[in-house]
Amino acid sequence: MQARRDLPRSRAKMSETIQEKIKTYRTAPFDARFPNTNQTRNCYQNYLDFHRCNKALSSKGQDVAPCDWYQRVYKSLCPTSWVGKWDEQIENGNFPGKI
Amino acid sequence: MLVTIRKQLRNHPALIPLFFFIGGGTAMSMLYLARLGLRNPDVSWDRKNNPEPWNKLGPTDQYKFFAVSMDYSKLKKDRPDF
Repeated sequence: MQARRDLPRSRAKMSETIQEKIKTYRTAPFDARFPNTNQTRNCYQNYLDFHRCNKALSSKGQDVAPCDWYQRVYKSLCPTSWVGKWDEQIENGNFPGKI
Repeated sequence: MLVTIRKQLRNHPALIPLFFFIGGGTAMSMLYLARLGLRNPDVSWDRKNNPEPWNKLGPTDQYKFFAVSMDYSKLKKDRPDF
């Protein structure tokens, strides 16, 4: 994997490590914020974080590739019917979460 | 009512441990409920100023009393910025 010379060094390194993590991704890692059996909030939080990350990075004009981490995690955790419903709500503009 | 209790205790002093144990149990239950209400990261009393309190947990913070097979010295995944 080539280092990106156009990014400042810290962001290039972070992008690299995230690319590595995305390439060796197996499943959602343990998250200390959600230690119990009920992982509903974990799923929802990652979904929100994916969209917030896209919005924040694209508004700054940066590459949105790091946000893929959140997408992989929520795809591992969330039931597909939920993801479909939320995607539809986002398209229609009536998604209840704060993005 | 306290006068009645005091008279009964004087006549039957073996009742004193009962008060300790019941009082201790009540205190522990109330303490646990207070911990749940105030320290639980899923609880938000003020949604305007504290909307997602679970995000305040760092990657090594442990809320559970006893984590069986979890070594809480893991690393944090990415979080570009928001």
